[in-house]
Amino acid sequence: MSGQNHEHHVSSAGQLWAVAAGLFILTILTVVMAKFVAIPPPFDVIVALSIALVKAFLVAAFFMNLYWDTKFNAMLLLMAVAFFILMVSITLLDMLYRVDVVPSF
Amino acid sequence: MANHSTTQTAHVQHHFVDGDQQFDTAKLGMWVFLVNEILFFGGLFMAYIVYRAWYPELFTEAALELNTFWGAVNTIVLIGSSLTVAMAIRSAQKNQTKGLKINLLITIGLAIVFMVIKGFEYSHKFHLGIFPGQFYSYEGLQHAQAPIFFSIYYMMTGIHALHVIIGIGLMMWIYVRARRGEFGSDYYTPVEMTGLYWHLVDLIWIFLFPLLYLIE
Amino acid sequence: MATAEASPSGNMKTLQVKRYKPSENPKKTYLTEEKGLWSWLTTVDHKKIGLMYLGSVTFFFLLGGALALLLRTELLTPAKTFIEADTYNQFFTLHGAIMVFFVLVPSIPAALGNFILPMQLGAKDVAFPKLNLTSFYIYVIGAVFTFIALANNGLDTGWTFYTPYSTDSTSSVIWVTLGVFILGFSSILTGTNFIATIHKMRAPGITWGKLPLNLWALYATSIIQILATPVLAITLLLLTMERVLGMGIFDASMGGDPILFQHFFWFYSHPAVYIMIVPGFGIISEVITTFSKKHIFGYWAIALSSLAIAFIGFLVWGHHMFTSGQSGVATTIFSFLTFLVGIPTGIKILNWVATLYKGSIEMKTPMIYVFIFLFLFSIGGFTGIMLGSLAADIHLHDTYYVVAHFHYVMMGGTLIALLAGIHYWWPKMTGKMYNEFQAKIGAALIFIGFNMTFLPQFIMGSQGMPRRYYNYIDQFTIFHQTSTLGSYILGVGFLLIAWYLFRSLMSGEKAPSNPWGSRGLEWQATSPPDLHNFDHTPVVIHGPYDYHKPMEEFQLGLANSHNGHGHAEDIDVEKVSAH
Ligand code: HEM
Ligand SMILES: [Cu+2]
Repeated sequence: MSGQNHEHHVSSAGQLWAVAAGLFILTILTVVMAKFVAIPPPFDVIVALSIALVKAFLVAAFFMNLYWDTKFNAMLLLMAVAFFILMVSITLLDMLYRVDVVPSF
Repeated sequence: MANHSTTQTAHVQHHFVDGDQQFDTAKLGMWVFLVNEILFFGGLFMAYIVYRAWYPELFTEAALELNTFWGAVNTIVLIGSSLTVAMAIRSAQKNQTKGLKINLLITIGLAIVFMVIKGFEYSHKFHLGIFPGQFYSYEGLQHAQAPIFFSIYYMMTGIHALHVIIGIGLMMWIYVRARRGEFGSDYYTPVEMTGLYWHLVDLIWIFLFPLLYLIE
Repeated sequence: MATAEASPSGNMKTLQVKRYKPSENPKKTYLTEEKGLWSWLTTVDHKKIGLMYLGSVTFFFLLGGALALLLRTELLTPAKTFIEADTYNQFFTLHGAIMVFFVLVPSIPAALGNFILPMQLGAKDVAFPKLNLTSFYIYVIGAVFTFIALANNGLDTGWTFYTPYSTDSTSSVIWVTLGVFILGFSSILTGTNFIATIHKMRAPGITWGKLPLNLWALYATSIIQILATPVLAITLLLLTMERVLGMGIFDASMGGDPILFQHFFWFYSHPAVYIMIVPGFGIISEVITTFSKKHIFGYWAIALSSLAIAFIGFLVWGHHMFTSGQSGVATTIFSFLTFLVGIPTGIKILNWVATLYKGSIEMKTPMIYVFIFLFLFSIGGFTGIMLGSLAADIHLHDTYYVVAHFHYVMMGGTLIALLAGIHYWWPKMTGKMYNEFQAKIGAALIFIGFNMTFLPQFIMGSQGMPRRYYNYIDQFTIFHQTSTLGSYILGVGFLLIAWYLFRSLMSGEKAPSNPWGSRGLEWQATSPPDLHNFDHTPVVIHGPYDYHKPMEEFQLGLANSHNGHGHAEDIDVEKVSAH
């Protein structure tokens, strides 16, 4: 059974603290960007969400161990996100394009 | 022929071949469950996105009623608790029962702090008359669709808070089992699963915070 | 006993295997080993849990069926026949809600799937047995909520709970939505359990390419369950809150949008129709090969089309909303995407038909149901495509044409497949044979009754008879009366089936371990199986449909249960040389 008694990954305390520190800094950054830097409308959301995505990546990869885990678990997470995006984007095809109820009326 | 797995212990249920299989299975099951959680919250995010697209000015105005400072503090608290839960798993992996217990207690403490802050935020809003839906009676924000924003706000943060409460319960249960000395480097599956759940609660908040509190 | 040895090739692992022929008339079975009501209620055995689901599903089916017969009876005459209009609304709502949420969704996966899935994997149980029992009780709690609603004002919104009516209706919407909400968790947990089981609990040798198609189908179903069901949960929660707090999200007068509810609802409910039908596809694949004594045609095409259906099924929900006021852009795109679903479904049908070609076909009852399935489901599928075309649907939407369409797919498809499965696995589950002759009569009654009930509905639908109506104009009388008559024949057919199955339990012949000569792994256990399914660890070297290979080669197990296999999927037994 070669390779089966796999070692579970054990993160060092330093690693975990570093990740947390990164998350703290990003949290402060996102507040600063939103409250004290004037970013024109579509970009403020983009900046805020990008920071959130980086934070989410840090949590998923290093706190939830996906970085060392089997790829399949990471794929499950991505699948969930993909189907969420699918749901929203298709729904928006209706919600954003409702010109008049029945075109010819 | 295989050297039979060394992780065979009393914790292995009869239908598994060895501890590794049991651990991997539990973890896969947990991830599948987290997929559910994401799509469950996904429905709320969809409502948020749709109405933000329809009423952008409503969201900018209403977000001013939310307290960014306390939102940010809560974010830090929750991230801190994610760190301690990760440390708890690390302690279990290294057979350090004491570290496991301490980290669990800190996590529970932080979770309670989160809930207390949330409670203050809610009661402040109730005081002003900011209730969800048709019970909305706040004079300060007269936007016609204001009730919708706060319905979404209360649903999102409310269901998130419910998850925090469930997480506190789970962590207490893990703590009791840890005190009985059930966990160690050969068996810490429940600790890791609870940790995964807790990180997801954190993940959701990471998105809720900028989306609700940081709209300028 | 013959010993056989797997010889290594490349990096493959050598396993010592020997032949385990299932014993006939076993003394110890899962039915005899632990007895009494308590042992059933607290069991974590997937087989007993499966049977408990089967019992509950049957109960709900009888309830839903009785409601259907009452509805049809009311429609015998154009005006009032014997019940009030309000009662009529309640009956069709409950009929629909019960049949969809309490019967079809759990029927195949939770009942038959629970029983068969671990056996086809050569596993002792599902990955999380306690969770399995939990999901059964969650189902029961959901049912209790629904009964509370029944006793307390009923429900009259239709099974779709559309807003704004569902926020205004005075019937007990909340009880039912909470009931279905709870039920959703049962479905989610079963799906989670199945995915983990299929990934991690396979016996040595069962690679993805040797996975029975039934399991591919259950796998695809589970994926839909875990992706779609949580959205239903949040939808129902939002609806409940809309009623309790007047949240406004679905309320146009507060700036919300009732059509958003339909998006939410159909994001679950269209995929849910595939939760219902895809497991049926799995059963058809198993039965059709067994009774054609032939390798399945297009194994990978059938396996992967299940996954394709699962995926495309998420893109088409708007075809239920063509006339709702949805934007033209969305409508057009949804219509196009709807046509795509037909492709993987068609691939399956064609592969099944090709499997029959040059097979030695044995017309046993399960196989008869397969033919009924092919016939009825194809009609259902084609009419679905017709409804998916935008222009036609503007005319046909909310008419009996739609009613006929979904009965052809749900009853002609899922329910017929369920009957095929029950008849196919009955000997394995109960250890008894049913009366073949009576079973054939039953199948004939079902077929005749079904077509008599639902074919006329296509015609009156296309002529404009709206669905969910209590009265109708004289022009439609003949169609409605034929339909009602047909439904009575259906009813008789189901009673006959219940009767001979019950009789077989009492006085049926003892079933051999493999009455159909199937190559499936579940048939290499005794009938009924042991508490742990197999008393050895099965080793699989051939695919489940290799009918050209001798039976002995399907009866292998590890010679020594301690010669170690950690994770099933890594083990590939190359070749066995018996000596
Ligand atoms: C080839 C695949 C299919 C296509 C293209 C298709 C298409 C459609 C369309 C366009 C409608 C909407 C008609 C209307 O309301 O105007 C519909 C309704 C429906 N279909 Fe299908 N369908 C397919 C397969 C299925 C299957 C497999 C099932 C269930 C097992 C199913 C169950 C239903 C139900 C329950 C409704 C009516 C829902 C309601 O309004 O109450 N369909 N189908
Ligand atoms: Cu559909």
